Amino acid sequence: MYFDGDSIAAPATPAAESALAIIRVSGPLCKELSAVFSGKMSIEPRKAFYGAYRSLDGVLQDCCVFIPYPQGSSYTGESMLEICCHGNPIIVRSILDDLFRRGCRAAEPGEFTRRAFLNGRMDLTQAEAVQDLIAARSRASIDAAQRQLDGSVGRAVNSLLERLLNVIAYAEAYIDFPEEDLPPEDKDGPIAQLVSLQSDAKRLMATAPYSALLREGARTVIAGLPNAGKSSLLNALLGEERAIVSAEPGTTRDYIEERLIVGRHLLRIVDTAGLREGGGEIEDKGIEKSRQLIAHADIVILVIDGTAPPPCQELPVSLRELSARGLVIVAINKCDLPQEKPFDELLPGARLIRLSAITGEGLPELRDAVCDIIDSRYKAPGQDDVLVCARHAEALANMSDSIAQALDKMRRGEAAELAASDLRDALGSLEQIVGRVDSERVLDLVFSKFCIGK
Amino acid sequence: MTGTENNPYDVIVCGAGHAGCEAALAAARMGMRTLLISGNIDTIAKMSCNPSIGGQAKGHIVREIDALGGEMAVNTDTTAIQFRMLNESKGPAVQAPRAQCDKKAYQLRMKHTLELQPGLHLFQAIVSRLIYGTGCVRGVGTSIGAEFYAKTVIVTTGTFLRGLMHIGKNKTEGGRSGDFSAQTLSSSLKDAGIALDRLKTGTPARLLGSTIDFAVMEEQPGDAQPLLFAFYDTRGLPDDVFHVEQSPAMAAAERLLFHVEQGRGMRRPGWLPGMEQLSCWMTHTNARTREIIIENLHCSALYGGEIQGVGPRYCPSIEDKMVRFANHERHRLFLEPEGRGTDEWYVNGLSTSMPFDVQQKILHSVPGLENALMMRPAYAVEYDFAQPTQIHSWLETRQVEGLFFAGQINGTSGYEEAAGQGLVAGINAALKVRGEPHWVPARHESYIGVLIDDLVTKGTQEPYRMFTSRAEHRLLLNHNSAELRLGPHAARLGLLTPARAAAVLRKKAAVEDWSARFEQLAAPGGKLGDHIRKGGGLDAAPAEFLALSESAREEVLYRVRYRGYIDRELRHVSKLAGVERVSIPDTFDYATVPGLRNESRQKLIRHRPENLAQASRISGVSPADISLLIVALASRNT
Ligand SMILES: Nc1nc2c(ncn2[C@@H]2O[C@H](COP(=O)(O)OP(=O)(O)OP(=O)(O)O)[C@@H](O)[C@H]2O)c(=O)[nH]1
Ligand SMILES: [Mg+2]
Repeated sequence: MYFDGDSIAAPATPAAESALAIIRVSGPLCKELSAVFSGKMSIEPRKAFYGAYRSLDGVLQDCCVFIPYPQGSSYTGESMLEICCHGNPIIVRSILDDLFRRGCRAAEPGEFTRRAFLNGRMDLTQAEAVQDLIAARSRASIDAAQRQLDGSVGRAVNSLLERLLNVIAYAEAYIDFPEEDLPPEDKDGPIAQLVSLQSDAKRLMATAPYSALLREGARTVIAGLPNAGKSSLLNALLGEERAIVSAEPGTTRDYIEERLIVGRHLLRIVDTAGLREGGGEIEDKGIEKSRQLIAHADIVILVIDGTAPPPCQELPVSLRELSARGLVIVAINKCDLPQEKPFDELLPGARLIRLSAITGEGLPELRDAVCDIIDSRYKAPGQDDVLVCARHAEALANMSDSIAQALDKMRRGEAAELAASDLRDALGSLEQIVGRVDSERVLDLVFSKFCIGK
Repeated sequence: MTGTENNPYDVIVCGAGHAGCEAALAAARMGMRTLLISGNIDTIAKMSCNPSIGGQAKGHIVREIDALGGEMAVNTDTTAIQFRMLNESKGPAVQAPRAQCDKKAYQLRMKHTLELQPGLHLFQAIVSRLIYGTGCVRGVGTSIGAEFYAKTVIVTTGTFLRGLMHIGKNKTEGGRSGDFSAQTLSSSLKDAGIALDRLKTGTPARLLGSTIDFAVMEEQPGDAQPLLFAFYDTRGLPDDVFHVEQSPAMAAAERLLFHVEQGRGMRRPGWLPGMEQLSCWMTHTNARTREIIIENLHCSALYGGEIQGVGPRYCPSIEDKMVRFANHERHRLFLEPEGRGTDEWYVNGLSTSMPFDVQQKILHSVPGLENALMMRPAYAVEYDFAQPTQIHSWLETRQVEGLFFAGQINGTSGYEEAAGQGLVAGINAALKVRGEPHWVPARHESYIGVLIDDLVTKGTQEPYRMFTSRAEHRLLLNHNSAELRLGPHAARLGLLTPARAAAVLRKKAAVEDWSARFEQLAAPGGKLGDHIRKGGGLDAAPAEFLALSESAREEVLYRVRYRGYIDRELRHVSKLAGVERVSIPDTFDYATVPGLRNESRQKLIRHRPENLAQASRISGVSPADISLLIVALASRNT
């Protein structure tokens, strides 16, 4: 059987709002994942089970339906796991991120089909049916990748590639030409170059979250007590009557998500059910959901009714954490009416803005504050134009790992061809971004730098 | 009579250089009725350039040739006059043996080996054309008018296809100094639709040793304990053909006598290859050399615009070095002896296409060569080659069935690269005649596999030479493991005697067994494997292990010491195994694959990969392209 060793993961449904999203995982890790999510060591194949998806750090991501497929009778022929979660791109992304941390890697376009074919799992009709789909999808992703590679990201990645090739060529010259009259081998120079490569790769990688924020939108959650005016605020920001507004507390029971452009940023803005205890079963579910949404938010706007006394009930822990990281705005609503006392000590680290969802006062300040938080908290400093996507970040992380291993051997003075083999792996990771690099390029550099030959 | 239309040979090999000799021997050893035609059978296996065999990556190839039952390794061992292991300061995977050979003895021994080979007929004639059937080859026509028919033909013509030699502005037709050139064979190949291009290579001057002042040079002696190229553990030194030998008593009288022991089984008591080695000597160019060259650049064939062929980057002429590395004060030169029975010396590092008088000035500027007498001038040679993307990985041409190419005609350089291809061509011609599937070593099991795969998937823009950095699985290709990597294939193909085949399989089993047992046996502070990896010795190793052959012991230790790296390489290999298996038919139409990027499509059409693994190695082809191909291939197989 064809066996790749790697486990791959990718969403099987398009990246848009829908009731349900499916994430597919294929490879040896699936068995372990099934055990983790089911809590059982042996699971019945092909039988769906319901469970909580908790990420490695224990945070609940979503409640999902899992379907395990055993090796030999899955789409790809390998062990597989299908994860059905809510069709919210934010949730899908968090789950994927977590799968990557657990050792999966992002699937290449068409990779599931490739594995299926190589394992003899795909008959002709299936193959033809997916052919167009893959063609269309990989086209889109190639085009997107190409556009990126032509631009600033391409320049940044190519500069890493050039530098890596130079280090490789230097090492290879001393391996392949022992009889040549080469200058004494410099041990420190290549080490320094690799270290600087690593830190530049790290800088690039650090732009991935911001880049994802720009591409997919910042998850902005409007939270607060019932009747604080959350739905009113959503409507005011959208400029339309999207959410039902009423004086009755507990009007919003399930969350509502909308896209909104604020300044140069895309927001995925979510109106949630008000946070309170004992409001009936349906409302409780809604509130549990609100807590989850807060936990995964990029930004939270905590709406407070300025005419009411400050809330005495406990705020969710995750909200306090977000606030400490400067990601919470406290919107003191209904400023058109006489106000209660100040709310300064409510949430340390949060910004306070007084506004009115009815008159629109304070809304420009709110918009500015949101943009400012995205730029100041998520953007890596000094990387205005270069932003890498998650797939690139993953490749860069792998490259850094390989370089770290090479550095270790070089510092310990181990045989040169061993470090060279790590550097080759590092190059392989960059090839995931730039495509195959011809080995001739290394030789070109060797021959242009050193006078070699009889 | 063999060779007629009704009773054709199985295999005809045209050209008896390093590729041709291995091709003919392999075919004949596989039971083929084989004809080896050479324009001059006094120049069989001639070392046209330097007198050395092996070196980095090339030495690996020679050991692989031995593992496959070829002749180059034994021929080198028994005619060598100096042995050196290169890269001793690095790890075992990139160490490589090199030897200086007695050029004449090398030729004579190879010729005698061919003569002794049952089923092989050696014949002197110049092949002037190929005889074609429809889409296939049927034989060769010769300059003496005779025609010879065969089921397969292997062309190994080296630099002889429209060879043109340059010394300054002076041009002489010929594949090598003092030899003819094949003028008409090229057009016969073109008739079959094979496209030819030009390449260039060169060779330095030869000097008379008694006029060289070695006293001012640095001596480079051979290794006291030489490692031989062939794996003799299973055979013992060959007694059937002569070897070059010098008795210790005669050693005092330096280079006075060389001794060739003809006969079978005759050997001076106590003689072993590697005894009584000769040294090489090192000197260098200086500022005066530089001046002379720069002043006379316009006279060089290369810089004067006389040469159209592309020369190799790794073997630049001295004028090239001076121009490209203008800030280097001096360039190193080696004086290498060409044999025991001659006082001719090869000047390694001084390739040039300057006119004769300038060459002399250049030589005389070099310390130790002030009074050196030139015996042969340096020259550059241009010749036809066929871009190797026109052949299958089993070295058969795509245009003509039964026609195989090996050696410099495929754009390679070097005796070793040629011999490796010759061997593979001979094997595959034989397999074709037998009606069996072709066989090519894979990239992860041999440098020969890397060589051939690079050639047929990427083609070459310069004479292709092997470097270890070309092999992505270099750590799996340490020279000592060649017999284990390729021996089992050779045994299956019938290239080894039954005794050697059995011994190879035994050795392989023993190495694998002991590599595993090292992880179980106890040693101070853990298992023996861990002990070895921490730099521990073999004190705790069982006596049975120490009783293994040196090569087997070394290999076990290599596998234990580098276990982590080797495992990682093997994981990389198994990742590719799936795509390796999916072949792309020659007739596959890339235009019908939807979604393929134009750039990839062009490259795939140009390179015509045989399988998906080859396709994925083409630069710029992305994993997404490969996925598209997979599906397109799947839907095609109805
Ligand atoms: N005067 C005034 N009234 C407001 C303002 N914002 C909201 N309200 C009123 O407050 C009441 C509750 O508003 P909603 O937007 O439904 O509040 P909510 O936070 O979504 O409440 P739930 O969904 O029940 O949790 C409605 O009667 C609104 O008209 C404001 O800025 N000024
Ligand atoms: Mg509401």
